[in-house]
Amino acid sequence: MNTPVVNSVNVTINGKSLTVPKALSVVQALWLGGYPRIESLGCLEGVCGSCRVLVRRAGSAVVSTELACQLLVEEGLDVSFLPYTDTQPRTYQLGCPISLSSVLETFTQTFPEAAKCRHCGGCDNSCPKGITVESAITLATAGDYQTAGEMFLECVLCELCETACPEFITPAQIGTFSRKVTTLLSRRPSNLIHRIEALAHQQFKVDIDR
Amino acid sequence: MTDPDLNQVLLNPKCCTKKAVLPWLNGWGGKGLLNAVNAPENIIKTIKEAHLLGLGGSGFPTYIKWQSVADNVAPDKYLICNGNEDEPGTFKDRVLLEQTPFQLIEGATIAAIACGINHVVFYINPHLENAIQVVSNALKEWQSSDIYARVLQTLDVTISYTIVKSNGIYIGGEETAVIQTIEGKFPFPTGKPPYPTEQGVYGSPTLINNIETLCNVPHIMRNGAQWFYNLGRNDSAGTKLYTISGDVESPGVYELPMGISLSELIDKYGSGMLHQTRLKSVITGGPSNSMLTAKDLDVSLDFTSLESRGASLGTGAMIVISDADHIVQSISEYVNFFAGASCGQCPPCKTGTYFLAQIIAKIDSNKATYADLEQLTDLCRILPGSGKCHLVDGAVKLVKSSLNHFKDEYEKLLIKRE
Amino acid sequence: MHVTSNNGVLYQDAIIAYKAVAERILVNPNVSASFTSDLLKAYHPDYLQNACGLLRVGGNRDAQCHHQLVDALQSHSHLKPADITNMPVTETDILVIGGGGAGCAAALTAAQQGSEVILATKLRLGDSNTVMAEGGIQASINKGDSPQQHFDDILSSANQPVNKQLVADLVMDAPDVLLWLIEQGMQFDLDDHGNMCTRRAGGASQSRVVFCRDYTGLELMRVLKESIRNSQVDVWNYAPAIELTTDSKGQCTGAVLLSLEDNQYTLVKARSVILATGGLGRMHLNNFPTSNHLGATGDGLVLAYRIGARLRDLETFQYHPSGLIFPASMQGVMVTEGIRSSGAYLLNAQGQRFIDELESRDIVSAAIIKECRQGRGVQVSDDLSGVWLDTPGLELRSPGILNQRFPKLIAAAKNAGIDPRYKPLLIYPTLHYQNGGAVIDQHGQSTVKGLYCVGEVSGGIHGKNRLMGNSLLEIISFGRKAGQHAALSSPSTQHGEAGISHLIHFNAELQQAQIPLEKKSPVLFPEYTKFEIGCDFRGSEKI
Repeated sequence: MNTPVVNSVNVTINGKSLTVPKALSVVQALWLGGYPRIESLGCLEGVCGSCRVLVRRAGSAVVSTELACQLLVEEGLDVSFLPYTDTQPRTYQLGCPISLSSVLETFTQTFPEAAKCRHCGGCDNSCPKGITVESAITLATAGDYQTAGEMFLECVLCELCETACPEFITPAQIGTFSRKVTTLLSRRPSNLIHRIEALAHQQFKVDIDR
Repeated sequence: MTDPDLNQVLLNPKCCTKKAVLPWLNGWGGKGLLNAVNAPENIIKTIKEAHLLGLGGSGFPTYIKWQSVADNVAPDKYLICNGNEDEPGTFKDRVLLEQTPFQLIEGATIAAIACGINHVVFYINPHLENAIQVVSNALKEWQSSDIYARVLQTLDVTISYTIVKSNGIYIGGEETAVIQTIEGKFPFPTGKPPYPTEQGVYGSPTLINNIETLCNVPHIMRNGAQWFYNLGRNDSAGTKLYTISGDVESPGVYELPMGISLSELIDKYGSGMLHQTRLKSVITGGPSNSMLTAKDLDVSLDFTSLESRGASLGTGAMIVISDADHIVQSISEYVNFFAGASCGQCPPCKTGTYFLAQIIAKIDSNKATYADLEQLTDLCRILPGSGKCHLVDGAVKLVKSSLNHFKDEYEKLLIKRE
Repeated sequence: MHVTSNNGVLYQDAIIAYKAVAERILVNPNVSASFTSDLLKAYHPDYLQNACGLLRVGGNRDAQCHHQLVDALQSHSHLKPADITNMPVTETDILVIGGGGAGCAAALTAAQQGSEVILATKLRLGDSNTVMAEGGIQASINKGDSPQQHFDDILSSANQPVNKQLVADLVMDAPDVLLWLIEQGMQFDLDDHGNMCTRRAGGASQSRVVFCRDYTGLELMRVLKESIRNSQVDVWNYAPAIELTTDSKGQCTGAVLLSLEDNQYTLVKARSVILATGGLGRMHLNNFPTSNHLGATGDGLVLAYRIGARLRDLETFQYHPSGLIFPASMQGVMVTEGIRSSGAYLLNAQGQRFIDELESRDIVSAAIIKECRQGRGVQVSDDLSGVWLDTPGLELRSPGILNQRFPKLIAAAKNAGIDPRYKPLLIYPTLHYQNGGAVIDQHGQSTVKGLYCVGEVSGGIHGKNRLMGNSLLEIISFGRKAGQHAALSSPSTQHGEAGISHLIHFNAELQQAQIPLEKKSPVLFPEYTKFEIGCDFRGSEKI
């Protein structure tokens, strides 16, 4: 018997059943199905962190958190968009001039929960970029901002780690903080500084009529 | 005038001796234990015939767990008397611990004998400071009593007793989480299988029973299975500690025949609805369960009858909601509880309950639209079964049940679009 | 979608024939001016017959303009003048419209000067083309390089007249832009001596693009978002601007914002408005796929044009050579030019190089289109073909470079089931950047008083062809300039009356040009999203 080639799949998105062509992303499938979704969509290529979804694949009890624009449809896929949240971030001032001790103090004041991590692994399990968030937070809490920050290189600020934390730690923001203080404490690239000094001494100008 | 149905056994004054062992032993105490010592091979059979069920919420036949532990050969075996009780609306185990420590200790000892257990642990919520004090003192009395010495000598066994304080959080009551705490770790549920009866504390066979379940054991062994069975209404066995709270005149813990009707519990023992309000709903069994409405007032409060109405006996907690309350506000409280109780291991549970709570709060503050209600419904659809334990399932069950019965209350709060 | 060709070598055959080789020679590189000019005219989409039309209304009447943009500019407002009478009103000093790099730079600078700032964005703060940028930022910081050379590079690639003063200001400001970004906390790749690494942009004479792996835009946007959150700027998410407001003198006095969450309008009165609305890739000009984010629909151009701002260079758009064309779900997604800067080749289906990969983008794009049209492309479906971006060849030449320098590419390719170290990527030009836009002065002021336009929405710097790294430079440079200027000039301005009576004049012109009433703009989102103003933006109801 000839089995016909299946070029379309049945999926459920936000509780709506759709039959769509294979090889589409969940976002493309939703639009094709006629649903005018705009909320939680942005770059459509996985760097803005807005399109957070819960995902269950056919035959599995596991529910994971992923980015919808990167998720391809497959038979029996079940997807539910998480609501957009206008999070209230921690605010802090790093002071001028900045020093390691002032940074340590600011960190403890701004992120007091970080020291209470219970090592549940929830942040690791919810990160769509595979960042080992828990270890990074341990490092940042210990004051190793450079290593911690580097681990957050690919963080898209989806903030899934923040809703995943039972101690109310805000790992994504700690990541941004760690990267920022690393730069402020140590980055003074010489080629840039020399050029800026030269410009300040009017050693360069542009002749627009050449 | 005494009510013959009320506080017949577990909360009978004869059992409420607190830390004094002599009144217990001079009254109902010790007889069941001696029967057990004389014929240890009959204990599990008696528990089976009595139809004793897990009274911490599972309703699971107690004898099955006991048999499993008894069958597993190991140099060490544990009994954990689970007194974590950290759920809104339930406070029966607290009463038993503070008032009747000896029926618990005797029940635990009988269980230990039946299953070949040598380590008995009383696992108590640290918020119950008084209970810990009482049990601690009671254990001192017990271990210096003659009957205890006789048990050890006659059976040539060792049975040690320890008190371990739990972390004081809700998830610490889940069986696999209990084991984690006893082993000195954070109470993260580990999923089943393996089952604790096969691989529990430090890999040893472990029996975990609720306080109330164990308290029934010495009475069953004293008076026999038939006596216990006859205490219940219709086809149910024994008595049950019902905790009634919410909008009733007399909230509290009442020991009554298993299978009493909901209306009788509310009207006779709860003294009826508060301030002339009317019944809107009852959350049966504790907040991780379903709701019933006024048309279910006739239901018998036993495991099977409630299941047939789509509800659950659970811990026997009955949370009464009147027409003076807003359902969405009430549900919001409980969902916030679950969101705060999630241990964090499983993102769908922690993140899922976070968003359940957030959407309900949005609805409750008149800021939500129909799309938000749809999103809430969709979360309820996708979340069940996604965690290592049943916390998220319980939260969803409650929300789903409230949407089932009271969707109009949700819809009333929505912003309508033109 | 744009049909590339239907006569190439089938993908399954081409991928088998492909062999990874470290070095390949470009046979007969032809760089004569006449060759490139002929190539562009024959194959670059700017020169497609019927691509352009004449504008019949507004300040650029009789100018050539891409016909899809003509439609958008020559459209009615969603509002009638009476609509604003009962709108709730909010007042502020400076209204910034757009939450990408330019908007954030403007808002931060203005707030630092003590202005009260509202930043309103169509999606969320940071949802922009900026966050997707990869290649880097141009600045003449190395020995042997100078702002003059940077200036000369821009002019020679521009291929048409530019505003030379703006370009001169831009290149002189570049090092300071980098310093400002570092002070916001931005990281750049450094060499072993602590110097900023640089790479060469296509069409540039020197290596001067600084970068953070291939995540430069993400790093930049993360840092600016954090700065905004720590500032006093009031951010309004999901609040697109539907119309700008003017007073009786025709000055810009604010905007009408639509809240997508509850479909309510708010009139925001401001002493100055800074438009930083980005590009229009999602208009899919000439049916091309695009690299742009969901909200890039040219709204700012439409709004500015309707209150009388002059625009320029509306007939030219940049197509980035390396947009993925396979798999279907990733069509249009850009692969950074930085990978060609590192030495990756472009190969046709026969495995031959056909163009100097670091020519300017317009030339490389035209060359790719030529290969495909002449049957030397790799055919991936009936209508679509592309050429190879030879990443395995690069990996052979510089082992480890892909993992080290291009983690975003690795992640994207992994999602497509491809390991770029061993399998080449299939690419085709993708609509990428709006070269022209609103005419501005050195402070970012448009030709309408009270209205600033900064970033991709403005014009006059890049001519027909923008170099890699000059857009991220421009958004910060002019964003800051506009923020500063608006903040300093604002206190002396009173809140003018905020109305939309400018529509009366514009509508009269539309009527004369016989534009139907149903034609409205800004469109806000591409038509395939099925979005219409007034619908539930969570997509709960099927259209």
